Amino acid sequence: MRIEIAAPMPGTVAEILVDIGDKVEIDDELVVIEAMKMEIPVCSTTKGTIYDIRVKLKDKIETDQVLVVLE
Amino acid sequence: MALKKFIEELQGKKEQALLLGGPHKIESQHAKGRSTARERIDRLLDPGSFTELGMLACSDMPGMEDKTPADGIIIGFGTVNGQRIGITASDFTVLAATLSRVHGKKMHDFKQLINQYSLPNVFLGDGGGGRVPDGQGSIGMTSSAMMGTRSIFHMYTNLRRAPMITAIMGNCFGVPMWQACAADFVVQVKGSTLSVSGARALQKIIAANYSDEEMGGWQIHAEHTGITDRTAEDEEDCFRIIREFLDYMPPNNRELPSKHPVPENSGRNMDKILNILPEKRTRAYNMYKIIQSIVDSGTIFDLKPLFGKTIITCLTRIHGRTVGIVANQPMVNGGAMGTDALEKMTGFLCLCDSYNIPLLFLHDSPGFLVGKEAELKKVGAKVTNAMDALSQVTVPKISIIIRKSYGQGMFSLCGPSAGPDFLVAWPSAEISFLDPVVAADVAYGSLPDEEYQKLKNQMIQKASPGPAAGRFFLQDIIDPRETRNYLINILDIIADCEGGGVGKHLLANWPKQF
Repeated sequence: MRIEIAAPMPGTVAEILVDIGDKVEIDDELVVIEAMKMEIPVCSTTKGTIYDIRVKLKDKIETDQVLVVLE
Repeated sequence: MALKKFIEELQGKKEQALLLGGPHKIESQHAKGRSTARERIDRLLDPGSFTELGMLACSDMPGMEDKTPADGIIIGFGTVNGQRIGITASDFTVLAATLSRVHGKKMHDFKQLINQYSLPNVFLGDGGGGRVPDGQGSIGMTSSAMMGTRSIFHMYTNLRRAPMITAIMGNCFGVPMWQACAADFVVQVKGSTLSVSGARALQKIIAANYSDEEMGGWQIHAEHTGITDRTAEDEEDCFRIIREFLDYMPPNNRELPSKHPVPENSGRNMDKILNILPEKRTRAYNMYKIIQSIVDSGTIFDLKPLFGKTIITCLTRIHGRTVGIVANQPMVNGGAMGTDALEKMTGFLCLCDSYNIPLLFLHDSPGFLVGKEAELKKVGAKVTNAMDALSQVTVPKISIIIRKSYGQGMFSLCGPSAGPDFLVAWPSAEISFLDPVVAADVAYGSLPDEEYQKLKNQMIQKASPGPAAGRFFLQDIIDPRETRNYLINILDIIADCEGGGVGKHLLANWPKQF
């Protein structure tokens, strides 16, 4: 099963903390979004393996845009 | 023996009442994955504890007597975990639990009794709306509330003398909506709906094609209107949530919530609390993790977790005592408080003030989420409302400044000058009118970079809590790892005071929805 992790708010991708194939646990930080002068980590909602990363550093992103796909 | 015959007849009528609207209606209710009103009562209450009033009631419309057992509403007293409550359950199998004169009189009289006795009151809603043709015509409508000139108000009022709980368990219209908006706590079962008018009526009146789900499904109320406090996966989950809520509450507004045993392992993560707070001042973190570390293990009862998520409002226990927490959530919009979050906070202040629950405020917010959208949603009014409520709270208030606490946002979270009984900061606190970096940009943005950087760093330094503690604007700066112990001590002090923290309930008459 694949699970998409999406952006909770609009902003800019400030950090990507995982690589494809990495194993992650619930609450692990995956991507950091810069918004409202804050760096807001987007965390994994499940245990799994990173299947795809859909954004690059400095990308402008919208709410609900998929950042990472987990398997 | 005329009396014996009468008793036998009576027995027959009562047995008939237990069969509700008949086997077909019961089957259709079960086919929807829903239980009947009597099954729900049995599952919520302690076994054998139900005492019913009005089992012999029926419609006053000629010819309808036998088709309306209990007239679609079952009322009575029972216990939940030994706690005495009043319970009212809509019986969907009898004319979709629509409101009629006798149905209304049962609800009205029972509510009067519950208020007189100050007992917690649980309403299990399913169906509703007015009954046709009972309410038609001038006599039908003017007599629909039957008992007198003020007999309709019970549907909309909650004097907050004892907790009022509403569960939405089917497709609910009319009365259950008023009961939800008046309640202290509302839980909605997934698959049920809650709206003022139903899809069928709406189609006829304004030719709009919305489904009941679109107008009042669980996501509508959990995420958008904030009318519900919690969503239940199914009916069993709904009863579990109601029991848990009652466990955090006092039985009435003259008593304190009961003290519970402290679960093992409570506080064991206090040493790790420093790992939760990021080194970098602009990095967000999950405030739930801070709360989890501080409170007794497994005692976070979230209210409106999906509505106005920039503020967390939850009931918790610290060393066995119920505490209401209002906390900023930096993970959502950096903790900038939105209008929904302010509404949620105001409602929570009313709840805690009404039921003698001390409040703990945890600050980490850059302020309010401002902009045109916020203005259109009356952000000014929401801020004022929250402050007005805060000024009237008479239960003990404790404020801890975790990190950012700026400007009006500092006041709104019961900061200095806004009524805290106890007020401390973590060494990580940043207190100022504006975010120091923003302020430096405003004041020194045009200066050469070297000078700007120097002044900006000074601005950040000035926001540290030390100077304010030196003037006793803060009572102390505490080691974050000592937070739980600090709170246990403060709560002990409060418990030893006259009344032990029972408030004056100045907010009891405030609205439940804003």
